[in-house]
Amino acid sequence: MIDPIEQFHIEKLFTIGRIGNQEIAFTNSSAYMLVSVALISLLMIGTGRRLVPGRLQSVAEISYEFVANTIRSSAGSEGMKFFPLVFSIFMFVCVSNMIGIIPYTFTISSHIIVTAALALLVFFTVLIYGFYKNGLKFFKLFVPSGIPIVILPLVVLIEIISFLSRPISHSVRLFANMLAGHITLKVFASFVTMLGAMGLIGWAGAVLPLGLTVALTALELLVAFLQAYVFTILTCIYINDAIHPGH
Amino acid sequence: MARGFRLSSELVAGVVVGALIGWGFDRLLSTSPFGLIVFFLLGFAAGVLNVIRSAGVAPDRTGR
Repeated sequence: MIDPIEQFHIEKLFTIGRIGNQEIAFTNSSAYMLVSVALISLLMIGTGRRLVPGRLQSVAEISYEFVANTIRSSAGSEGMKFFPLVFSIFMFVCVSNMIGIIPYTFTISSHIIVTAALALLVFFTVLIYGFYKNGLKFFKLFVPSGIPIVILPLVVLIEIISFLSRPISHSVRLFANMLAGHITLKVFASFVTMLGAMGLIGWAGAVLPLGLTVALTALELLVAFLQAYVFTILTCIYINDAIHPGH
Repeated sequence: MARGFRLSSELVAGVVVGALIGWGFDRLLSTSPFGLIVFFLLGFAAGVLNVIRSAGVAPDRTGR
């Protein structure tokens, strides 16, 4: 049986340096991050500035419009202040997920530490900007209006826990989807080789998992984009809370 | 599958954060096990609240 977890192994390519006793290694994960960033830069910078856009320039413009519309619809036009952050997150997650679909590549977001780092970045941005812009009024976020004073402490506690649980659900969602999708794909693909080794009857039987693998690849392509979009839209919703708390 | 992950991660996140807060509370104030019990239940409530909100059944915030 082919090991379905093996694709998530992190290998050290070379060492960059040390901080204290901790080795800072350049891993295959970092290599793929670098590749996604390079691809995004190539798409956004290298595709020209013509008035009548070519194909690649259209992709760049569509992705800009898409993210800008997402921000405007969920955080208002004030949210456009955060456009660089949101656009970077969307493009990074989307492109790295797309790269992960290609066979023999590594999926960055199948490691929870990567998605958790992104989610925490959003979380602290919301916290710091919320306090910077609204001061103590930011605490209104935890106090829903129109609640009887008797149960208010309980509701506030629940709201605070709900707020603190955001980075967890934010990161686990992307991570779990990518991990589960890639494991399913690998398991079905390994059925093909296992059945194929059984001779002619196995060959006939292998058609079914092969077809499923093709279908699952298409589904994964959809999931890769969709999860990047969900990550982005949640980021916008959280940023909206920082801009307008307690509305 | 995506929807299932979405809702379950919301619920689990609430419970985990509640339990962690309770555990830390107990460690700091040595009130074990009451902090864990209370915050675990509160975390469960927060998780259910998260699920209801992300499923779009209830409005995002009361009064909005």
